[in-house]
Amino acid sequence: MNLRNTPTHEFDYLLALAAVALTAYGALLIYSGSLATYGSPSAALSHPVSRQIAFAVVGVVAMLVLTRVDYRLFGPLSLTLYVLSLAGLVFVLVAGGSAYGSRRWISIGGTQVQASEIAKVCTVIMLAKFFADNEERVKSLRVFAISIAIVAVPAVLVVLEPDLGSAFVFLILWFGVALIAGVRKLHIAGLFALFAAAAPAAVLGVAAGYQKERISIWLDPGKDPLGTGFNILQAEISIGSGGLLGKGFTHGTQTQLDYLRTQTTDYIFSVGAEELGFIGAMVLFGLFVLLLFRCLRVAGHADDMFGRLIAVGVMTFILFQVFVNIGVNIRLVPVTGVPLPFVSQGGSSLITLLAALGILQSILGHRRKRSRRV
Amino acid sequence: MGLLTNHRRRRWRAEPAEQPDPRAQTTARLNILKLVVVVAFVALAVQLANLQLVRGHEFQQRAQLNQLRIEPIIPARGLIYDRNGVQLVDNVPSFSAVVVAADIPKARTLEIADGLQQLLGVPPLETTLKIEQARRSNDPFAPVIIKDGLDQTTAFRLREELSHLPGVQIAVEPVRHYLHGNIMSDVLGFTGRIDPQEFAALKSKGYIPSDRLGKAGVEATYEQYLRGVPGRKEIEKDATGREIRTLAQDPAKPGDTVVLSIDYDLQKKTTELLQKAANGGQAAAVVMDVHTGEVLALVSLPTYDGNTFSGKVDAAKYQQYLNDPNKPLVNHAISEEYAPGSIFKQITGTAALQEGVATTSTTIAANGYILVPNEYNPSILYRFNDWRSFGNLDFYGGVAWSSDVYFYYLAGGYHWYGQNFNGLGVDRLARYARDYGLGSKTGIDLTGEAAGNIPDPAWKQKTFGDVWTLGDTYNMAIGQGFVTATPIQMVRVTVAVANGGTLFVPRVVREVRDAQGHVIVPNVPKVARQLPISAANFAIMRQAMMDSVSWGAATAAHVNDLAIAGKTGTAEFGNPGANGVSDTHAWFTGFAPANNPQLAVTVFLEKGIGGVNAAPIGAQILDYYFHRPPQATAPAAAPPQGIAQP
Repeated sequence: MNLRNTPTHEFDYLLALAAVALTAYGALLIYSGSLATYGSPSAALSHPVSRQIAFAVVGVVAMLVLTRVDYRLFGPLSLTLYVLSLAGLVFVLVAGGSAYGSRRWISIGGTQVQASEIAKVCTVIMLAKFFADNEERVKSLRVFAISIAIVAVPAVLVVLEPDLGSAFVFLILWFGVALIAGVRKLHIAGLFALFAAAAPAAVLGVAAGYQKERISIWLDPGKDPLGTGFNILQAEISIGSGGLLGKGFTHGTQTQLDYLRTQTTDYIFSVGAEELGFIGAMVLFGLFVLLLFRCLRVAGHADDMFGRLIAVGVMTFILFQVFVNIGVNIRLVPVTGVPLPFVSQGGSSLITLLAALGILQSILGHRRKRSRRV
Repeated sequence: MGLLTNHRRRRWRAEPAEQPDPRAQTTARLNILKLVVVVAFVALAVQLANLQLVRGHEFQQRAQLNQLRIEPIIPARGLIYDRNGVQLVDNVPSFSAVVVAADIPKARTLEIADGLQQLLGVPPLETTLKIEQARRSNDPFAPVIIKDGLDQTTAFRLREELSHLPGVQIAVEPVRHYLHGNIMSDVLGFTGRIDPQEFAALKSKGYIPSDRLGKAGVEATYEQYLRGVPGRKEIEKDATGREIRTLAQDPAKPGDTVVLSIDYDLQKKTTELLQKAANGGQAAAVVMDVHTGEVLALVSLPTYDGNTFSGKVDAAKYQQYLNDPNKPLVNHAISEEYAPGSIFKQITGTAALQEGVATTSTTIAANGYILVPNEYNPSILYRFNDWRSFGNLDFYGGVAWSSDVYFYYLAGGYHWYGQNFNGLGVDRLARYARDYGLGSKTGIDLTGEAAGNIPDPAWKQKTFGDVWTLGDTYNMAIGQGFVTATPIQMVRVTVAVANGGTLFVPRVVREVRDAQGHVIVPNVPKVARQLPISAANFAIMRQAMMDSVSWGAATAAHVNDLAIAGKTGTAEFGNPGANGVSDTHAWFTGFAPANNPQLAVTVFLEKGIGGVNAAPIGAQILDYYFHRPPQATAPAAAPPQGIAQP
C-alpha cells in the first residue's frame, strides 16, 4: 500500500464554517442596509439579499468543486490564468462600466464582473508558482525583480481604472508571499527605501486628484461636511452611536434613515457596528481571526511551497482588505474603496473568495499521507 | 528516564540550528504573519472601542441631532374684525418652493437646479448660487426660498416630482388676505416678509428668516398680539430631509383677535362719498366717537390694496403705487401735514373766550380787510384780506361766517386808526394750540403718524433766522402760514370742543381678545388731557358752529332731521397760479347731534373750497351714520365670543 500517494482528504470544517458564517453575517447586514431602499425582501430576485445568497451558493459550489480538484493542476495553468486575468483588466480599461468616475467592471451576461477580484487570486497563484519553481534561487535579485513584476503589472492596470485600493492589495499580497518564500531581507529593505523615497512624489504627482482630496478630507472631514466628508463623518457617527450593544438589528437610525451611503458595500461595517454594537463587531473580528488563522494553518500544513504560498497569498489579501475596509470605517485609514471580504455586497468578490478557500481546502486535502517522518 | 529522553531530544533538535531547517524557518515566518493578524485586529479593536465605548455617548447625541430637527410652528395670525363683528381679514395658504442646502447631495446640485428650471422657470444659476450660499452659511438647514407665490397647479406638479429632487420642499405658509381690498387698507396696513434688519431685531422673539410680520397699520402696531406664540415640533428626518414622523410637539398659540373701533359700514360709505369728491386727488376723512376717542372711520385717498403685499409682492402694482404723485401708500389722514385753514378758528376762538380777549358780545367791524402800517415807516401799509365783507360781527357771527378779520383781532389785536383791541398774542395762541394737541403726534395706534407744526417766534428764528411779525400771528389765527396739522389732529380738536374739553388719544382698536375670547386689552378710552377751557366757553363755540351750519358759511352741511354743528376751512397752499390765485385745501369739521354731540367728523380734500366741497361730504357722513337703515346699524357689540381660528 503506497501511503505516500493517497490524498488525506482532510477538510477544514472550521475554515469553511468561518467563511459561511461571515457570508451570513454579511447577508444580514445587507438586508438591514437595504431596507430603506428596498423595503422588506419580497420574493424579488433583484433584491440585494437574494442576489447575495445566490452568489454565496455559487461560491460554495465552486469551493466544494475546487476542494476536490488537486491544487497542483493550477501549477501548469498559472501562466494562462494570469494572462487571462490581465487581459480582463485591460478590457475593463478599454470597455468597462464605470461608477464614481472609475471603470471597474465588465458586463458578462448582464452581470457586472469585477475583473480585479479574479486577478487577485490568479496573481497569487502565478506568484506562488514562480516562487515555488525558483525555490533555490529565491535569494537572487533576478527572482526578486521578476516576482515584483508579476504583481506590478496588475497593480498598474488597476491604478489606471483608477482603483488605488486594489493596487495596494496586489503589493501587500506580494509582501506576504515573498516573506514566506524567503526572499532576501536586504532586497525587501531596499524596496521599502525606494517606496519611502518615491511616496511623497507619488502623492503629489501621480495620485489622482480624488485620492489627494480623500486624504486631506480624511484628516479633516469637517472641512466639507456635506460633500466627501459626509461619508466619513456619518460612518463615524453610526459606529460610535452603536455603543456596546448596538441599537438592535434593523434599528440603526443612521442606516435606516439613509445617513450612511454605500451601506451595503464599502460602509457595511458601519451598519453592523451601529446595529449590533461593539459586541457584534467583536463577533465579526473573531470570525475573521479564525478564518485567517485557519488559512495560516493550511500554509503550515501544505506539502509544498506552491500550496503554502497560495495559502499565504490568499490570507494576506483577505487580511489587508479587512484591515483597510474596517480602518476606513473607523477613520484609521484614508478613504479607499476596498470591500469587506465575505461581508460586502458583491458577487465577484464573494465567489472569488469562496473559490480561493476551495483551493486552500484542496491544498489541505491533497497532501500525500505520511505515517511518519523518515 | 524522562530526564534522559528530554536531554536526547533537545540535542537532536538543536543540531539543525547550525544549518537552518527550512521547515522551522517557514514556521517562524508564519508565526510572524499570525502576529501581524493579531496586531491588526487589536489595532482595529482599540480604535473601535475608542469610538463605541469611550466616545459612544458623544456619537449617540450626534446621531440624534442628525435626524432630529426642531422646527418652529408658525402660529395662525390673529384675525381682525370691525366693531360690529364684520370679519376684515383671512389667512390663506401660499405655496413656495424652498431648498434645504444640507439635504442636497453636492454632486446633484446642478441636476436639481435644472429640474427646478423645468418646473418653475427659475434660472439654474440663481438656484445654484442660493444653494452654495446656504451651504456656506451658519445654518445649512434653514430653508431658502427659490420661488414663492406658486399657483396650486405648479405646487402640485412640484410635489409629484419631489422624490427626484432631494432637498427641495414645498413650504405652505399662511398669508394674509384682506377681504375688503381698498376699503380698509389705511387702517389695517399690510403684512410682508421679514427683512434682514427686522429679523436681526426680532430673532430672539422666535421669528425665522422666512417669517412674515405686520409692516404698516394695525398689522404692525398690534403685531405682538396678532402673531401669537410660535410652537416647536421635534421631527425625525431622513438624510434627504424628508419628514418621517413628528416626535414631540409644543403647539403654537394662535394670534389674538383684534376688534377695531372702525365701523366697516361707515368706513365704506365714507370712502365712497370721499371718492366722488376727491376726483382722484388726495383726500382724507376721519370719524370719531365724541365720548371715547374711538375712530369709527378713517379714510385716506388714493389708497392701495393690502393684498398687493401679501404672499408674493405684485411688483407691477407696487411700482404703480410708488409712481403715483398722490402717494397712495401714504396715509393722508395721519401722515400728511396740511394747513388747517379756518377750522383752526375753533382753537383761536375758544382760547380768546377763555383768556377774556373776547366775549360773545365782542363786536368787530369786518369790512373785508384790515390795514397795518409798517412799524418803522408808517407810510407802508400791509393789507390783510378777509374772504368777504361782513360789517359788524359778534363772536357767533365771526365764527359762523368764518370771518378772517374777526380772528385777526382775536389773535393779534389791532391798535391803529383809533382802535385799541388787545389780542391773544402768538405765545398764548401757540400754547392753546399745543394744548389741543397740535404740533405733536396724537398717539393713534397706527404707523407713520406726523406731528404737524405750531409755530412761535423761537421756532421762526430757529427755522428761518427771522423775527416773528404781527402778520405771522394773523396768519396763525386762521390756520395758515406756518401752521400745519393732520386730519386726525383736527378731528380730535372738534371732539374736544364737542365733549367739553376732553382730548383723547385716538384709537382704531377697541379691544384685543385671545383665541378663547378672553379680553386681553380692554376697551378703555385713553384721555390725553383735559383742556383748560371752561364748559361754558365750549358751549359758546358749539353754538357758533351750529349757527355756521344754520345760517353761516357752512350751510352746505345742513341735512334734514339732524342738527349738525360745523366749521369749514379753505386753506391756500403752494404758490399763486397764473391768475394770482392759489390752490386751496377744502376742510370741514363738525359734529352731530349739535345739542348732544356723539359723533365728530373731519373731511379734507386736497383741492376745493370748504363750504362748497368738503361740508356736504361731512354732512352726508354724519347723515348716513344717524339715518342708515336699522339693519345696517348692528349693535355696537363685539364679534361672537371665541372666534374660530383657522
